Amino acid sequence: MIVIEKAMVDIGILLQILFWGIYAGCIYILLATGLNLIFGVMKVVNFAHGEFLMIGAYITATVFFLTGINPYLIILISMLALVAIGAAVERLCFRPILGTGKLNEIFLSIGLIYIFQNATAMIWGDAWQSIKSPYEGITVPIGSLNVPLDYIIIMIVTAAILCVLYLFLKKTRTGREMRATSQNRKGAMLVGINVERMDILSFGIGCALAAAAGTLWVVSGQVFNPYMGSIPAIKAFAIIILGGLGSIPGAIVGGLIYGIAENGAAYFLGGVWKDAISFVILIVVLVVKPTGLFGESGE
Amino acid sequence: MSCYSIAGEFKVKYSVLFIAALLIAIAIIAGCTQQAPAQAQPNEIKVGVIASLTGPASNVGTNMWQSAQVAAAEINANGGVQLKGSATKVPIKLIVGDDESTQQGGQKAATKLITDDKVDILVGGYSSAVTSAYEQTIAEYKVPYIVTGASSPIITHRTDIDTSYIFHHCPTTDTYGQYTTMFIDQVLRPAVNKKLGASADRPFRLALLYQDTAFGKGVQTAVNNTITKDKLNIVLVSQQGYKMGESDFRTPLTAIKAANPDAVYFAAFPNEGAPAMTQARRDIGLDTIFLSVENNDNSQFYKDLGQYGEGSIIESRFSPYTAPAGAMADAQNKFKNSYYAKWGTYPDMMGASTYEGIYIATKAIGNAGTTDKTTVKQALVDLSMPQIIEAMKGGTISFSKDFRESTFDLWMEQLAFNQTIGESRPNIVWPDNLKVTDFALPSWYKPGSA
Repeated sequence: MIVIEKAMVDIGILLQILFWGIYAGCIYILLATGLNLIFGVMKVVNFAHGEFLMIGAYITATVFFLTGINPYLIILISMLALVAIGAAVERLCFRPILGTGKLNEIFLSIGLIYIFQNATAMIWGDAWQSIKSPYEGITVPIGSLNVPLDYIIIMIVTAAILCVLYLFLKKTRTGREMRATSQNRKGAMLVGINVERMDILSFGIGCALAAAAGTLWVVSGQVFNPYMGSIPAIKAFAIIILGGLGSIPGAIVGGLIYGIAENGAAYFLGGVWKDAISFVILIVVLVVKPTGLFGESGE
Repeated sequence: MSCYSIAGEFKVKYSVLFIAALLIAIAIIAGCTQQAPAQAQPNEIKVGVIASLTGPASNVGTNMWQSAQVAAAEINANGGVQLKGSATKVPIKLIVGDDESTQQGGQKAATKLITDDKVDILVGGYSSAVTSAYEQTIAEYKVPYIVTGASSPIITHRTDIDTSYIFHHCPTTDTYGQYTTMFIDQVLRPAVNKKLGASADRPFRLALLYQDTAFGKGVQTAVNNTITKDKLNIVLVSQQGYKMGESDFRTPLTAIKAANPDAVYFAAFPNEGAPAMTQARRDIGLDTIFLSVENNDNSQFYKDLGQYGEGSIIESRFSPYTAPAGAMADAQNKFKNSYYAKWGTYPDMMGASTYEGIYIATKAIGNAGTTDKTTVKQALVDLSMPQIIEAMKGGTISFSKDFRESTFDLWMEQLAFNQTIGESRPNIVWPDNLKVTDFALPSWYKPGSA
């Protein structure tokens, strides 16, 4: 009855919920795309991926507090820093155990979660923090909605990053090599592609995308602390399974579906259903199409 | 000479017999009355402090632990605890247990403090969900525990375990839910009616955003019960729950805005309350009065909230930035200054009640004259000591006979934005005997409509 009554609400409110869903989806898309890029190339399961989002958030806040630079510009610093951190993690942690079994990868990444969380707490403390966007308080009328400028910028930045990633993967030689490694690692090696270089590059880019998600998280005014990465990481995993393992379009569509479904559930069913609905969708999709929306059999 | 000697011998013999009989009698009497040897005075009193030093509640937990250390330093600077019947004082030693803001972490911390560290008494506990998870351990080992942070009444009301060793020195959700609802009815509702030019019987439209835990649901229940029991002219137009630790409240706030409330009551932790209120004003455009639960009254909350706190209300009993006039202000300022000198920040109210918790624990052990846990528990039951830094009913700290709860005098603060420091600051506006200024609706306030 309550659901029926709520379904009859003003279309403006539904559009508002849709808008919040797309905003949330942007964060998920960046996180899940990075995770999928790493999985696609290396076939590595990295549960510590959410920690790279968290580190991106801290780097953004720290640079912002120290320099006062526009936080949207700090996204470049944050991404570059995470490319370096990601490359180091791949080289020092994942490469030595690559091919030794999924269990090793899982326990390694769980260990990394604790290391990153505790290291961050040691450096920055573990209190919740937040920063203020220079554009907070500015709203833009879009049809019947009056939406904050920050969220529009976040959506534009997300779209721009995805476009650059698309062009990189489709139009550059390195991007094509990366895709080739993702499709057939042995075949790529046979044609002379340095797959270890592709590993380190994909891990770095994947971490940079997580850092971008962290920056946008912070700029949108959400609070952060060293333990914030775990839940987004679980959702990112659910998204790439939903979209199809290794599929970048799958991560984008899956991220949007999750963002909108979560906010729709929070409105129609209550906030406690926000996380649960994502997994309900995941179960339904896996029952109907076990490879995910864009996945291919054999992944 | 010889007669004298014989008489003297008799006297000596009788004296020896008399002394021997006396010693036997003393031994028999002592044997009858003293079943066990007297407990030796301890070298130190071990007080376990359970606090969330890591995890989502670490901000509050750190404040609690640091406040406990301020109290211990003061007590030890005065020589320690005077045990009843003893001439010397005994120093106290604090041992912290990090509950990691999780139920499993709480269980580990409580077990370690009791079995490994062998503490004499426990103080602390934040988050009702976490604290209630390890109460079974407290019951099993029968260690007196003064809970100074978890505010759900279930802490001492539950009947599935023996809670007789647990004492609650923190207002419960029942109490502050009731206080806040009374404030709405007595102050906010007439002010909104006056602004609208509406009749006194216009129902006040209240919305509730609550954490979906024992804490948040406790506040929800208290608000509903107070409205029903006191037949208040308040209508709950929207009740939105969210998961603990949530940071994106835009959708439930959109639902609340759609219900056109006159005010929104946030039953949230500080790390949730500040972003929720910010998102409500900044993103959703909810230009209304926000009411918050007392645990938000800490310096980090004011820092995170910035200008979005303007005009909002916090129910409180201890604030880093204000105090009721009189002797209570002096006592609170002394604690705040000691804390600031030691830690460089200001204490929050969970810190204040934990600071008091250490004093209560040591007072009970002092009254008991021993660290024997059963005797200390009884001393807590019988405790009656003057209020320390928080206003107590009747000016005395004591625990109720039924659920072992102390009773606080609460107040409501209204926040005003200070452009110079870029943060809002509170002023007490209710009740009349404690207020320093009157409540006022902000000029930008928009009342709800049916």
